[in-house]
Amino acid sequence: MIQIDSKLEDGKLTLKVAGRLDTNTSPELSDKLSCDGVSSVVFDFSELEYISSAGLRVLMSVQKTVMATGGSVVIVNPNSIVMGVLDMTGLSGVFEIVQDQGAPQQ
Amino acid sequence: MSRRLLIFGGVAALYTVLMTVTWIVSTRQAEENTQTQLDYAVLNLHDTVAGAIDTMLGHIARTAVRHIGSAQVMSLERMAAGAKELDIDEVSTVSREGIVIASNDPRSIGVDMTASPVLNEFMELTNGVTATVSQPFRAHARNPNFRAKYLAAAFPGGDGYVQVGLEESRLKKMLPSILGYIFDEWLLGEKGFFLCADMDTGRLISNPSRHRGEARTLAEAGYDTEGARRYEVIADGKNMGRTFVQTLFGEKCFCRAFLFGGHRFVAALPEREYYGGRNMLAVVFGVTFLVVLGAFAILLDRIFRDSDRLKKFYAAEDDRRAKDMEIAKTIQNSALPTAAPESPCFRIDAAMHAARDVGGDFYDYFVLDATHIAFLVADVSGKGVTAALYMMTAKTLIKNTLLAVRDPAAALTEANAELCANNPAMMFLTAWVGVLDLETGVVTFANAGHNPPVAIAGPKSAAFVRKTSGPVLAFIDGVKYAARTMRLPPGGTLFLYTDGVTEATDAKNGLFGEERLLDALNAVTDPDPHAICGVVRTVVAAFSEGMPQADDITVMAVRYLKPPKLYSRKFPPRQEGVANASEFLDETIGREELRDKQLSPLLPSLHVILDEMCSNIVRYSNAAGFEVDIEIVETPLGVRLTFIDDGDAYDPLAHADPDTTLPAAERPIGGLGIFMVKRMASSIAYRRSHGRNILSVVLSA
Repeated sequence: MIQIDSKLEDGKLTLKVAGRLDTNTSPELSDKLSCDGVSSVVFDFSELEYISSAGLRVLMSVQKTVMATGGSVVIVNPNSIVMGVLDMTGLSGVFEIVQDQGAPQQ
Repeated sequence: MSRRLLIFGGVAALYTVLMTVTWIVSTRQAEENTQTQLDYAVLNLHDTVAGAIDTMLGHIARTAVRHIGSAQVMSLERMAAGAKELDIDEVSTVSREGIVIASNDPRSIGVDMTASPVLNEFMELTNGVTATVSQPFRAHARNPNFRAKYLAAAFPGGDGYVQVGLEESRLKKMLPSILGYIFDEWLLGEKGFFLCADMDTGRLISNPSRHRGEARTLAEAGYDTEGARRYEVIADGKNMGRTFVQTLFGEKCFCRAFLFGGHRFVAALPEREYYGGRNMLAVVFGVTFLVVLGAFAILLDRIFRDSDRLKKFYAAEDDRRAKDMEIAKTIQNSALPTAAPESPCFRIDAAMHAARDVGGDFYDYFVLDATHIAFLVADVSGKGVTAALYMMTAKTLIKNTLLAVRDPAAALTEANAELCANNPAMMFLTAWVGVLDLETGVVTFANAGHNPPVAIAGPKSAAFVRKTSGPVLAFIDGVKYAARTMRLPPGGTLFLYTDGVTEATDAKNGLFGEERLLDALNAVTDPDPHAICGVVRTVVAAFSEGMPQADDITVMAVRYLKPPKLYSRKFPPRQEGVANASEFLDETIGREELRDKQLSPLLPSLHVILDEMCSNIVRYSNAAGFEVDIEIVETPLGVRLTFIDDGDAYDPLAHADPDTTLPAAERPIGGLGIFMVKRMASSIAYRRSHGRNILSVVLSA
């Protein structure tokens, strides 16, 4: 139920996550995340259906790691469900959130 | 204002009547007194004048007796000389035998005194005892215009007598000297007076100047002789004439007049003397009345003002009470649930008809979870705002405890302890609380002193459910209410009510009672709760027609239809079970029969909730397995997810929420799952039952 495309360019890791990010799928995302030599991480959530606390846990652990090396975490194009979760948990102020690339917002 | 006028008018009329009667009575009394006083006055005057003449004539007669010596014949000349000397008109000597033997009048000589009864009166003098005999003035037998008075004195031993005669014309000349002094001294009453005047000339012999004013004649005094003639009499010492009114010396007087000795005697009594008393009485009466009326008016005004003030006060009080009742009604109504939950499993309807003086009736119903609904009817003692406010407290308390403990008896036990702890107004309430298990039709209930509800299992089978659990609420601290159960078959109804139904009264003060309620429920043809409530209300209203509604009337009917349709599946306590539950959710929401409900927009949130709750169970509960129930909620449209596990007791709602305002570095990773569920859910409830954790989350569209 999850599809992850990762791309590493000049220390910037871009992960396009499609499907659902929950307890069933978040271990898969954790596995794909290797922060060695990564200064910034971009999560492309254009095609993410929803995120549960298990997914948030992955995002937060990445954030802690990257921040330690002065890097940044950017979330691109979350849908309204995901945005709602980020808002209600206070994490929308922790991550940098970008709506762009003309992606349709749900 | 008109009432005051009426009272004053009445009093004034009463006064007028009293005054008129008093006036007439006292006028009569005054007139009677006047008559009496005038009667005495004229009689007295006449007697005094006549007495004075008798005294004078007696003296003359006795002098003649001494001069003549005895009854002997004397010459006419001798007798005439004697008469002249005595200044008398006639003098005669009568023998013992009654024959006139000597006289100055030749016609009298030889007259037999025994020949007529009048003359014979003098013969008494021959008895040797009687000294003098007097006769009043009389008209002469031969000449009526000639009036004279005769008096005779006996010779010693009754041996004949001497008779002297006084003509009125001579008396007339003598009177002024006899009477002058009398009129100066005499008074009639206090202001009355006497007048005496020559009958022919009208010249006054009395001198009224001392008391009345200057006047030389009767006419000058104001006396109308012609007008008075028909009232006056020639005095005879018996009939003294009639009273008449004349203005004398400028003053209206009651008068009597009589003629005597060629003179006219007038007794006059000023009107004001005799009407003075009456007039004084009227004045005193009037003044007293005015004073009393004045005092009465002041008093009356005060009374009216007080009564007006009291009326205003009562009006304001009524107004205040009406407002108070309005507030109470608003509070009461706002506390009642407005829309019954729609479900294919049960139907519920209730209504409260508040009395004018709002009581403290209330009812409530709410869904506990996919398979349980709670409902209750209660009645707070007392009326008005106090009862309404207490009702609010009680209602909130019972609902909250029921949501927390999910058992009616335990809820009432807990609520009672709370209510007893804080009950300054000494209120109490009765309550019947039930929880219907939609899977079985079993009603778990507790009855705290409330009227027994009626179970209607089928047509014409209404029967009271008389099981009770304990006393009224807020009355005895520490009471433990007993849990009771009953079962409703599918299609069965439970009817609840307050005493406003059974204690409704008719015109003859008869109570509606329980029998009539059973009859009404047995007669119901439409088993729908709304219809049942309506029928009971109608029957009660018809029974107590024309009577004011004394108490709130509350009715509630709960009809059990069928077990709920649940989509339920059990899963192993592993991550694989969580993935399977997620698939079960997709599969259920995607089912053919639910397609038209269009629930798919809820799916992402439902997945988040499911993922959080299931992973929690799998990770921490040590359960041997868990069950997920999916139920479609109708109003508002939504989905209820119920998670049941047989693991360690764990109430996720009992934990504090994480602080979501902390900066990233300080935030713990994790602990967000339950918080997110609580934020996303429309309602959430947890209970522990039979060793199982049961968490129910509703998500509405």
